[in-house]
Amino acid sequence: MKQTFKVFKISTYLLCGAFLLNSCNSGDTSKDAATDSAATVTAPATVDTTSATPQKLTDPEIASIAVTADQIDIDYAAIAKEKSKNADVLKFAATMAKDHKSVNDQAVALATKLGVTPQDNPVTQSLLSGATTTKADLNSKTGADFDKAYIDNEVAYHKAAIDLVENKLIVDATNPELKSLLQTALPIFKQHLAHAEMVQNQFSK
Amino acid sequence: MINTLKVLKNSTYILCALFFLNGCSSPEGNETANEKPAHATDTIVIKQMQFTPAELSVQKGDTIVWINNDLVAHDITEEKNKAFYSDTLEVGKSWKWVVTDSAAYMCSIHPSMKGKIVLK
Repeated sequence: MKQTFKVFKISTYLLCGAFLLNSCNSGDTSKDAATDSAATVTAPATVDTTSATPQKLTDPEIASIAVTADQIDIDYAAIAKEKSKNADVLKFAATMAKDHKSVNDQAVALATKLGVTPQDNPVTQSLLSGATTTKADLNSKTGADFDKAYIDNEVAYHKAAIDLVENKLIVDATNPELKSLLQTALPIFKQHLAHAEMVQNQFSK
Repeated sequence: MINTLKVLKNSTYILCALFFLNGCSSPEGNETANEKPAHATDTIVIKQMQFTPAELSVQKGDTIVWINNDLVAHDITEEKNKAFYSDTLEVGKSWKWVVTDSAAYMCSIHPSMKGKIVLK
């Protein structure tokens, strides 16, 4: 139960970021309402909702969020590489490290080409804050407990990231090349989620 | 008379040679048992975590080229017995395989990515 709550809390950092940004959209109200509910019930105290501006994200802010979210998963993978002895977990973590680095390299190359400097914003800060908590949680675990916590977090993290990319970052991106990069990256994150769920299911057998 | 015969004889050689060559190049009904049909080359593009086309019909001996146009590295691994494996295919790289049989394959890095090769 405690474990489930923590995973839910971890994912909330991302969901909360998505909520803060989605709250300005008037399109899909049912989805916004669902996210609103999740964020209200479980939002961690470290996320300052008052500082969030309910505005459309700028391209430099989107670049900051995308690069930060990628780097956080690379960091989680590094912890898994150090702590896990499970072959499936290690293989998954290696894929996360390599894939997210590839996406990040191309995001940085595009930002450089476009002359865009990633700009810090409340969502980036929320992501970083959540990652600090998650890393501490993962580092406190060992063996099978760690493997389960890592994979559970990967499932939750990718679900939230997909929602954020699909419903906010792609929608708000104005530069066509940035939008295209996000659209190309989205299936990668969806595949990562499917892979994480596959490993997660093996643990539950 | 002798000259006429010689000319006729030489002409016959030329006609025979022409007939023989024509017979060889005829597309219908003149293939010998040793002749092999030309093999085709098909391309499968890897993009947005998909093999496109996901299913490809080919003849035995055809060549398939996989091109990785995605953002991340992939590989091509025969599913059942690992009968073929491309090794890691970095972004922008390609790998080819001469078809020996039908096969179901996947990307072992991203296990939900799958493709099929079907013999015609």
